[in-house]
Amino acid sequence: MDPVFIVALVVVIALFFDFTNGFHDTANAMATPIATGALKPKTAVAIAALMNLAGAFLSTAVAKTISVSMLNVDLSAFKDGAILVLAGLTGAILWNLATWLLGLPSSSSHALFGGLIGSTLAYAGAAAINGDKIIEKVLIPAILAPVVAGIAAWFATRLAYIATARTQATRKKSGISTGRSTFKLGQVFSSSLVALAHGTNDAQKTMGVITLVLIATGFQSKDAGVAVWVIFASAAAIALGTYMGGWRIIKTLGAGLSEIKPAQGFAAEVASGSTILASSALGFALSTTQVSSGAIIGSGLGRKGGAVKWGKAGQIVIGWLLTLPAAGLIGALSAYITMIPGVGTLILLVATSAVVWVIWRISQRNKINHQHVGVAAVETAGKAVLSPKKAAKAKKGKN
Amino acid sequence: MFDLSTIAWSSFLEVAGTALGFSAVIALAFALGVRLLTNAQHSASLTKGKKSQAGSKNAQIEALNRIGAYLLFAVCFSALAYGLYLILVIDGILPAAGAK
Repeated sequence: MDPVFIVALVVVIALFFDFTNGFHDTANAMATPIATGALKPKTAVAIAALMNLAGAFLSTAVAKTISVSMLNVDLSAFKDGAILVLAGLTGAILWNLATWLLGLPSSSSHALFGGLIGSTLAYAGAAAINGDKIIEKVLIPAILAPVVAGIAAWFATRLAYIATARTQATRKKSGISTGRSTFKLGQVFSSSLVALAHGTNDAQKTMGVITLVLIATGFQSKDAGVAVWVIFASAAAIALGTYMGGWRIIKTLGAGLSEIKPAQGFAAEVASGSTILASSALGFALSTTQVSSGAIIGSGLGRKGGAVKWGKAGQIVIGWLLTLPAAGLIGALSAYITMIPGVGTLILLVATSAVVWVIWRISQRNKINHQHVGVAAVETAGKAVLSPKKAAKAKKGKN
Repeated sequence: MFDLSTIAWSSFLEVAGTALGFSAVIALAFALGVRLLTNAQHSASLTKGKKSQAGSKNAQIEALNRIGAYLLFAVCFSALAYGLYLILVIDGILPAAGAK
């Protein structure tokens, strides 16, 4: 097959993965501000998209992705490197779409690692996999990250509630409120920081994958950095994906796990942001999805009377456990398909397109958009407390 | 067999400690800021229309509460700015503090 065609195909598929990564992970930063009404859904996804775009441009280091250290093969020098990456990306995309359909916040990074590990196993055998690195860089952080973020969020929520507590008698007597709705303002900033941190981490992985393929096929020298068009394309793809808003996952994280109040949302985002940035500064690549989910569970437990829907939390954890092997299995299957002489890549392309189309059709039967993410209730509550003057004005405006 | 001793457990502990410490400090600072701000708003409502000594005392309390609240919010904004700085340092745009 023509190498130019192969490279073009891998670039398109990698950008599509970047797009799915964007809409899959919008919820990490924006689920709680949407759930508490701190931001309107469309505004929230627009801010997240902008932050992801900015974050993608902030990243300058070439292919910081740890996927390479998990493989014992130099993909940029591997004969079938481009096809191997294509098969790996297919595994990641299909797993991302399947979990999105189920509304499960699984890690896009783990899906990418899983897909690449699976396709490498198929192409180069078990010797090409660095098992120790997978345990150290993926499995152990995957267990510890949500726990750490959860404890931090629980503690932060407790502190926020204790510091703002006023007895009902005091409030009645003096007419003073707890002021906890002010946390909504804090949420705008804290969620934006989480979105920015996400952009710097995730868009970079796609840039790294595309650059690897360009080097493997001789379109770019090994010493050259990430091409400007790769940065622009990756940034645009993740921002566009983020703007599309993965409403199913936003619904799960914003309302499916626990009923989130502004102080809890703020505590959850502060805990997520602190965990992600502390780990990045110390050289651990954590999954933002797992950190955010853990933080939301922690903040759900941190409020007196708050509850966590453990059934949904269990489903999410099962999704996390399955991500690496499932994406790996699809990646390996895709790799075997590409090995069919002559038409393998074409068959993979057609089969992948068919599966993506089926998933999209199923999603249309039970469509979830920005109107289904719990804001309607917030807006209704807002209307109920309008002053008579404002209510008359609103009615007039409607008419 | 995987050797668990090869894991940098101390770094994990450092991440956990930092995350816990930062989250606690920021959440507490913001929450106390919110409390002082509501106190200030309450004092302001009591001062309204009063020119007596009690009124000026309330105005003083309001000012002190407001200053305290804004200082605490400034702590939170500093933490946000530090987060941005960390992102830029991690990505190599800014040199790390102390780096040659």
